[in-house]
Amino acid sequence: MRRARWLAPAGLYALLAALAVIYVFPFLVQVSTSFKTDAEAAGNAVSLLPQTFTVAAYERLFLHSDFPLWFANSAIVTIAVTLGRVFFDSLAGYALARLRFRGRGLVFALIVGVMAVPTVVLLIPKFLVLNQLGIYNSYAGMILPLLVDAAGVFIMKNFFESIPTAVEEQARIDGAGTFRVFWSIVLPMARPALITIIILSFQGSWNELSHFIVATQSPELTTLTKGVASLASGQLSQGTQYPIKLAAAALMTIPVAVLFFIFQRRIMNRSEGAVKE
Amino acid sequence: MTLAERAPRRAGKRRTRGSRRGEGTAGWLFTLPVVVILGLFLLVPVLMALWVSFSDWSGRGSPLAPGVGFIGLGNYGEILTEGGLATRNLGISMRNVGWYVLLVVPLQTALALFLAVLVNRAILRGRGVFRTAFYFPSVTSSVAITVLWLFLFSTTGVVNEVLSWVGIGGPNWFNDPRGIVHIGLSVFGVDSGPATMTGSDVLGVSWWDWLAGPSVGMSAFILMAIFTTSGTFMLLFIAALQNIGPELGEAGMMDGANAWQRFRRITLPQLRPTLFTVLTLGLIGCWQVFDQIYTGTQGAPGKTTMTPAYLSYQAAFADQKWGQGAAISFILFLIIVFFTLLQRLLLREKGGRS
Amino acid sequence: MKPTARAALAAGGAALAATLLLAGCGQGFEESPDDASSADALTSSSDPLTILFGSSGDAETKAVQDAVAAWSAQSGVQVTATPATNLNQELSQGFAAGSPPDLFYLSPDQIAAYAANGSIEAYGDQLTNKGDFHPSLVRNFTVDGKFYCAPKDFSTLALVINTDMWAEAGLTDADIPTTWEQLDAAAAKLTKGDRAGLAFDAQYQRVGAFTAQAGGRLVSADGTQAVADSPENLAGLEYVKKHLTDGTFAYSADLGAGWGGEAFGKELAAMAIEGNWITGALSADFPDVKYRVAQLPAGPAGQATLQYTNCWGMAADSPNQKAALELVEHLTGTEQQLAFSKAFGPMPSIQSAADRWRTDNPALVAFLDGAAYAQGLPTDVGATDVINDFNAQLESLKSGDPKQILTTVQGNLAPVVGG
Repeated sequence: MRRARWLAPAGLYALLAALAVIYVFPFLVQVSTSFKTDAEAAGNAVSLLPQTFTVAAYERLFLHSDFPLWFANSAIVTIAVTLGRVFFDSLAGYALARLRFRGRGLVFALIVGVMAVPTVVLLIPKFLVLNQLGIYNSYAGMILPLLVDAAGVFIMKNFFESIPTAVEEQARIDGAGTFRVFWSIVLPMARPALITIIILSFQGSWNELSHFIVATQSPELTTLTKGVASLASGQLSQGTQYPIKLAAAALMTIPVAVLFFIFQRRIMNRSEGAVKE
Repeated sequence: MTLAERAPRRAGKRRTRGSRRGEGTAGWLFTLPVVVILGLFLLVPVLMALWVSFSDWSGRGSPLAPGVGFIGLGNYGEILTEGGLATRNLGISMRNVGWYVLLVVPLQTALALFLAVLVNRAILRGRGVFRTAFYFPSVTSSVAITVLWLFLFSTTGVVNEVLSWVGIGGPNWFNDPRGIVHIGLSVFGVDSGPATMTGSDVLGVSWWDWLAGPSVGMSAFILMAIFTTSGTFMLLFIAALQNIGPELGEAGMMDGANAWQRFRRITLPQLRPTLFTVLTLGLIGCWQVFDQIYTGTQGAPGKTTMTPAYLSYQAAFADQKWGQGAAISFILFLIIVFFTLLQRLLLREKGGRS
Repeated sequence: MKPTARAALAAGGAALAATLLLAGCGQGFEESPDDASSADALTSSSDPLTILFGSSGDAETKAVQDAVAAWSAQSGVQVTATPATNLNQELSQGFAAGSPPDLFYLSPDQIAAYAANGSIEAYGDQLTNKGDFHPSLVRNFTVDGKFYCAPKDFSTLALVINTDMWAEAGLTDADIPTTWEQLDAAAAKLTKGDRAGLAFDAQYQRVGAFTAQAGGRLVSADGTQAVADSPENLAGLEYVKKHLTDGTFAYSADLGAGWGGEAFGKELAAMAIEGNWITGALSADFPDVKYRVAQLPAGPAGQATLQYTNCWGMAADSPNQKAALELVEHLTGTEQQLAFSKAFGPMPSIQSAADRWRTDNPALVAFLDGAAYAQGLPTDVGATDVINDFNAQLESLKSGDPKQILTTVQGNLAPVVGG
């Protein structure tokens, strides 16, 4: 027993280190390959140091492709969606947690119900509805459907139920209206939950693909996910061209990676949340 | 549905507190944006798709226009019972995704739990670094990770090169349509199935082909799913492990139980709710796999990475068979609901016994 | 549970009401004009035109946009030409949305489905240069006796040979294969180590050249029945299988390449079967590889190859078809087609440009020679799906049973042909 206790850490570290290498190595290869020539990328895939260091892939992406446009579109949609979700999710979460109104059960049932609908079922009809509403192939069509999410409402509702009501009650007695109470008293207290919403919706909308496939067709509205997916199937030119594809994939990972490192502690300690598959 | 059950009770409790003026209006105003958007972009589309799946809409103009006819179960019949190419395609895609689910869900859950237990060791220093390393793949988009995977698993790619260091000639991953079970059997000289298995079929795919296993190409996607999701699920398990706390483990140690016994008898039962969450989320996600296929292989090699979600998309958007596409998506919907309920039932019963 | 269930029902009811409301307002969809109206009456208006095209790369995008801009300046009609990221998907979304592009690239395998639901206009007979198109191409775009759309250009498959490897193996011009036996001999000599003699993609779109040379077809010449399980097709597949097994032929994917041109450019194979598009890709990605183009050898049934083409499809719902027709006539004119050919490769679809094309491209005449004996792929509704399934099986031809494969194809094809 005692011997095992001494031995365990060394073995544990070795095992963890080996696993960590497996998890991290692909990303290192990705970055190094993006600086290689096409021939070297295909011929010498493993090496982490390019023999001939070139930024040709990045030059091509930034100067001779729609990559900057894709990036801008993704940023526009992500920011709008994140702001929208923070506001609308917390508004609805607050109402469901605190306010008493007829039909609350119904609203709640709707939210629970739609959470069970797999997104893939929506692929075809979402296009039909966007089209019926006349917002197909527009920013509105890209943003509006993503503007609230049931899971976010849920998280906010649970959070509001977990904090004491005393401060609100006092404000109400002082004569503040419902929205005022929500906006200036409750919302500031909800910071931890709001950060969770920000992380989830930023990551969710930045990485979204299928919705944008069915919601748009103009090249001016192409997002990073859609653009890089088309790059992967060889749109810019024929051939494998790994450096340019990997460079695009690496660049599109940066914003979510930055977000991840900013909120690292928070993410690592969260116990709820959506899961990417 | 646990959450739904809880709701009315809570509402009832609060009713005793007395009502305030204007609260009803505020409540509706506050929830209105969510209700409108979810209703418009989730509920209405589902109903519309349901209609399309029962109609002969050909993809020109509105499906709600007067000329579009109701054809009952026609679309469902064509993909389920008529035995033509549509049926065969569905069969193949079900075979593919079936193996995908069967392998990904248990493996990712086991790996996530394993990582969580390792990282959660109290003695460990620098656990933040390891947690970050394991979680990082989860933040990347499925498009970016698929691009990376296509490179890693190309014929002369990283994986095959690493394999060659240990003397293994790696397969031609994304170009190899052979099922891994069939490959395994052919090692023992079994290259074709018995007549009983090749002779009869379900959904246009013979029993022998159902048992082919995931193709080598699909296996690369399976590894990718495990790689990208294990980190997220690891976090869920870590949170649960931290809630359990060390006391129980200490108690077990006094009884002289070894680590594995302690884990199995004490920790694992406590993790059951989290296990259920992870399995359910995994199952729901796996059945609908789409992004990776759209970005990577579009169903190739030999249709072995064709999934029902991609088939539904392709039937509608590429082949103008909107009714069939919608019908496929509803069949998928029903399967997901069925498995979620089944899993719930099984885990609950198990809990009842112990 | 009870109150929840009731609430859910109520929610469903509300959504249903919303659906009906949507149906009522029906803004996004325009009513389609009467299909009964005579085909001759093209619409005319001052609306700008939109074009959706599937581009092979920057060269094609620029060439098409420049040509369209030139016509626009001259005619005064506003035109925007947009390259699609996924042509088929965006096209079907356009039709479903009631806002299709006025003109678009349309492949023969898509035409039947769009003709069937009335999405596309059959304007072929109104083209002033109608008689100039190669007849085999016109046949490709004729459905139920109606010539739907103008072929924009075409390509055929030919044998591309790496001349350095050819010389290195001791082969001369006299050895350029004209029969299967000569192809066997050349491929065997050129196969060396990991390098295959001949590479092509694992799909009917390439393998079909061999079955055609053996005298096989998928659909009978009169288009009335499926003939996939013929002994000729079997002979073709057996031939390919034999050489995949002995290693002198190889699928490009098995060589680690995305397509035949890449396998050839990376010198993983000494010969490849590809179409006109390979020349542009080689000069862009592999400028150092020297090659020549020869006609495909003749099989037991003589010479055969496959041809690929797209047409300029026109939407039935286009509000300005007259202008669109003029634009098509401009884009398919001699000068413009020769300019396109120079920019991105394929051959002019009109006979009057053939001679000049030969003089301009002496090294590539083998492609144009193929036009005389080229076959197209089946165009019946659902045929694409059948061919995709065929391709899936061709990938495992090496270990598969050709007869079994063809039986399956026949089973799949029979219901879609002659409908």
